[in-house]
Amino acid sequence: MWLFFVRTIKFALQGFFRNIWLSVVTIVILVLTLLSVTTAAGVNVLADKAITSVQEKVDVSVYFKPDVQEKDVLNVQNRLESMGQVKDVIYTSASQALENFKIKHAKDTVILDSINQLDTNPLGATLVVKAQSITDYTVIMSVLDSQEYASLIQDKNYDDNQKVIEHLDSLSNRVQRIGYIVSGVFVIIAILIIFNTIRINIYTHREEIGIMKLVGASNWFVRAPFLVESLLYGLLAVVLSLAILYPLLSVVGPQVNNFFEGYNLDFSQYFSAQFWQIVGWQVLFATALSVISSLIAIGRYLRV
Amino acid sequence: MIRLKNVTKIYPPDTTALKNVTLYIRAGEFVSIVGQSGTGKTTLIKLIIAEEKPTRGEVIIGDWNITDIRPSEVPILRRQIGVVFQDFKLLPRKTIFENVAFGMEVAGIQQKRIRDIVPQVLKIVGLEKKVDRFPKQISGGEQQRAVIARALVHRPKILVADEPTGNLDSINSQEIINLLLKINEFGTTVVLVTHNREIVNSLRKRVITIDQGTVISDQASGKYIL
Repeated sequence: MWLFFVRTIKFALQGFFRNIWLSVVTIVILVLTLLSVTTAAGVNVLADKAITSVQEKVDVSVYFKPDVQEKDVLNVQNRLESMGQVKDVIYTSASQALENFKIKHAKDTVILDSINQLDTNPLGATLVVKAQSITDYTVIMSVLDSQEYASLIQDKNYDDNQKVIEHLDSLSNRVQRIGYIVSGVFVIIAILIIFNTIRINIYTHREEIGIMKLVGASNWFVRAPFLVESLLYGLLAVVLSLAILYPLLSVVGPQVNNFFEGYNLDFSQYFSAQFWQIVGWQVLFATALSVISSLIAIGRYLRV
Repeated sequence: MIRLKNVTKIYPPDTTALKNVTLYIRAGEFVSIVGQSGTGKTTLIKLIIAEEKPTRGEVIIGDWNITDIRPSEVPILRRQIGVVFQDFKLLPRKTIFENVAFGMEVAGIQQKRIRDIVPQVLKIVGLEKKVDRFPKQISGGEQQRAVIARALVHRPKILVADEPTGNLDSINSQEIINLLLKINEFGTTVVLVTHNREIVNSLRKRVITIDQGTVISDQASGKYIL
């Protein structure tokens, strides 16, 4: 077994280096394939992340009437927090709201004077509600619109946001669908290209395979070096594609981050954090593709 | 050593390559199988090395009935029969040494033994100075000698040569035949398929003549009669 293993590695390396141009062409095609699939997947992730970040910015503010007691507001907050659709509720008391207002208009003496002349706080408490998903706002709004709370709530800014929310929702669905289709097309093209490249590679060795069989080589003795050679193509292609991809990311990343400034999105950091996952997928994709193509291609010429 | 019993080989749809052939080749014999092109000589070789199966009849090598040999057993059979082809069939990406060594490597022989034996065999065929060349870097005659070395390297009991001189000039042809005779002297059964009249006549060995798929003559010390 050990002898078989050693000879397999030896023959694979011989095949790789003695057909160096064929090996280089196969690896280049694999690298291009990996780059296109990773780029397609990257754009998909980026679009998805961008939409999620924008969605995270969306919230609904519920303004309570100034005379509403704090305990009533807190009851509403508790009710909202108990809902599965609600991610987060931030309570701002009436006095805090007034304080915020004063800070916001610190330079506007007319407004500040008018506020100071009032005996009572004209502002009510506010709840800022964030939903788990963009589609959950309708359910949350239906609760807030109920008769029970009609006497407490002065205003909600949902109507202003509704259009944006609906638009975002449809955009997110569309981006996701287009992403899947583009990635799928890329994967299919990649599979076809690699399959053909490996087949051409094996086709040039068909005579060799026949001779090996006539001399008394078993099917695995013929097959194994070709499989190891294919594995080598796959692994080298992954290393090369990462060597191209990551320096490229360090150039493109800051530009993308600038574009999404203010949103919770760090493109470079995302790819760095996902490094091993990307390596894993690339290794799996590249080696599986080249090994399966080899197995199918060799199989045709083994019947001697 | 080699026994064919009422062997018929029909290639679909209806090409009969061999018709009811019965013959027996004893261990240590040197037999020439002659006949014009397309008479079934190569089919006979293919049956002996299990590249083809007979449509009817039986093929027996030694004590082994290979008529219905399983695919997994074919490599074991081929490691016991040396084969020399007209078109050499050397592995183009391997050196002469590696080509000859390959015959032993497929049989799982240890590297040390390969390093001992291969140079000896290459010396016998006169290629000791060309061990590191690739097939395309040596002449046709040298390539054929390398093929014989590969066929010999695991000491087969049978050596089958299918038109080994077909691509060679007369001087190289004679050298190859002399090599085959030498191998036969060591006790290996040699089956030579050829349509080279001069060679067959000069050998004065057993000649089996095939015409249109049937054995029409089998002479103990024969001549090319077609």
